[in-house]
Amino acid sequence: MTVEADVLGARQVRGRPIAAKAVGGLRVRRIALGILRPIATFLPVFLIGTFITFLLGALTGLSPAYVQLGEAATPSAVARLNHQWGLDKPFLVRYWEWFSALLHGSLGNSWFDGVPVSELIGQRILISLSVAALALVLGVVFGTLFGTISALKSTSVIDRTITGFLSLISVMPPFTVGILLVAVFAVGLNVLPSAGYIPLSQGFGPWFSHIILPAIALSFEPVAALARQLRAGLVSAYNENYVLGSIVHGLSPRRIFFVHVLRNGAGPALALLGLILPNLLGGAVVTETVFGLAGYGVFASSSALHGDVPAVQGVLVVSIVVVVGFNLVVNVVLNRLVPAAQRGI
Amino acid sequence: MLHRLIRLPSAWIAFGLLLFIIVLGIVGPAIAPYDPLDGGAKLLASPSLAHPLGTDYLGRDTMSRLLAGAPVSVLSALEVSGIALLVGAIPGLLSVYLGRAFEWLTLRIVDTLIALPFLVFAIAMTALLGNGISQAMLSVGILLAPMFYRVSRAAALAVSSSQYVEAAILGGSSTVWVLRRHIWPKVIAPIGIALANATGAGLVIVASLTFLGIGVQPPAPTWGGMLASDLGYLDYQPYAPVFPILVIMITVWALNLLADVLRDASGESGRIMLKKRALVKSKKRRATTVRRALQGGQPT
Repeated sequence: MTVEADVLGARQVRGRPIAAKAVGGLRVRRIALGILRPIATFLPVFLIGTFITFLLGALTGLSPAYVQLGEAATPSAVARLNHQWGLDKPFLVRYWEWFSALLHGSLGNSWFDGVPVSELIGQRILISLSVAALALVLGVVFGTLFGTISALKSTSVIDRTITGFLSLISVMPPFTVGILLVAVFAVGLNVLPSAGYIPLSQGFGPWFSHIILPAIALSFEPVAALARQLRAGLVSAYNENYVLGSIVHGLSPRRIFFVHVLRNGAGPALALLGLILPNLLGGAVVTETVFGLAGYGVFASSSALHGDVPAVQGVLVVSIVVVVGFNLVVNVVLNRLVPAAQRGI
Repeated sequence: MLHRLIRLPSAWIAFGLLLFIIVLGIVGPAIAPYDPLDGGAKLLASPSLAHPLGTDYLGRDTMSRLLAGAPVSVLSALEVSGIALLVGAIPGLLSVYLGRAFEWLTLRIVDTLIALPFLVFAIAMTALLGNGISQAMLSVGILLAPMFYRVSRAAALAVSSSQYVEAAILGGSSTVWVLRRHIWPKVIAPIGIALANATGAGLVIVASLTFLGIGVQPPAPTWGGMLASDLGYLDYQPYAPVFPILVIMITVWALNLLADVLRDASGESGRIMLKKRALVKSKKRRATTVRRALQGGQPT
């Protein structure tokens, strides 16, 4: 009895400062976690990804000698070139040199023509990024549209039509969609160019007409994935008690949808966005081949076939950086948008 | 689970289609009416009685090439998922038993593999390692392994701390009985789902690689390679890509259907798995408390 009273008394006396301190501490912790957690998640991804990239290059046993000298390579010439490129050093030394150069923004020189890899990628990455960005926009817009409509009209004919359409487009690999689009729009209807690229500086119309078909081809996968995830999230959010509560409370359907359902139901779909970008970058390799775009994907496959190890490593590192950066942005947006994500769930 | 499976009509469709495709993958080259590499007929011919799907730009019969390309496309997809199962499931199971350092390291590697642009890495690995079909299957298998790592790890976590397994062991059941009766039914469904998904993904990736001429070079017939050559002659045969695309789509669709069917029949879904993970933690805690109490120590 006395103990209980003591405890109660202590709580009452210290109640205020503890609560205030706890709130302040919580906020500091939340902000610190908001910054640190993504870094703690993605730093290992970056480190391991770049290590795998370097290991891959080292495991192939390729050397610039075979790329440059070909069949005419004599052992002494091979040794001289290997020494010139620093390939006779131990693995870890080479890794450290490569990694520290990487942190300074240097990706090394191409074995094929000696041009800095960052320059080669810089010339091509804009093409790939504009296609991927347009595909992402299309994916988000149509994915959201289809997902929302089929969630709002769930179990109706509209919902079933959309779901059927989504399962159809989800089994079409991007390059097959690309080939069909070329056959229909470029060859059959002759309304859009089938291949090539025109920079944005030469006008929006020509630029857009060259990247819209590859972007549509790439967007099928994100549309299907996002719409399905969003539909599932929204339907389960509509079944929550707080929605029932707000209906009873007399809130308008629009307010319920935007304030209560969308913010809570969109979380999984948003988190999926972070996984979609790697697929878009990967799909770019094949779609660029279909549409004859001289993007970084074509560069990746042709340098890999040439055995140009630094160029391939450069492409892999750039894609790792793009993916990690994009995931950080998605994380921040997720934290802002979905209340529950802020609590670190 | 099997009796629930055979009551689903979509299970019959999925199994029938897949059986048909696998049989095609085995006997396809043998029943092809023409030599897939011999271009004797009229170039770019339209479908006719002699050539039901027409001929390509070298006068090779399209249907024969589709049939002859089936083994590379279908069987390699199966092998890819087999490699992924081996490479992924073993570390996944071990991650539960080998201690924290191993667990942390493998989890980080899996995170990385999932975040990487899959196809770019598959192309880089295959081409740099020697550009053959076995290199292609090995690299795609390794890149698909995280699927099986996650599934087998979740299964091992769920089983290693569950009370019915503990009860069975305490009751004197043999290890074989526990594995067969209690662990196998829990593990088989998620692994089957992952196998179906991985085979579908593997098929698409092998088709993409062969489209680029990586892994298998022309003139060897593959579904992806046929699309690559059709692309150059769209002006003459705009309908030609439809045949390989349809074959790829039907196969992937059947595999997706199989995964859905397995999920339905086993009652597994993402939500249940999530809840399970939370359950596992509390169960683990309870189990350690019980063990300590049995050993005569102080309950915490």
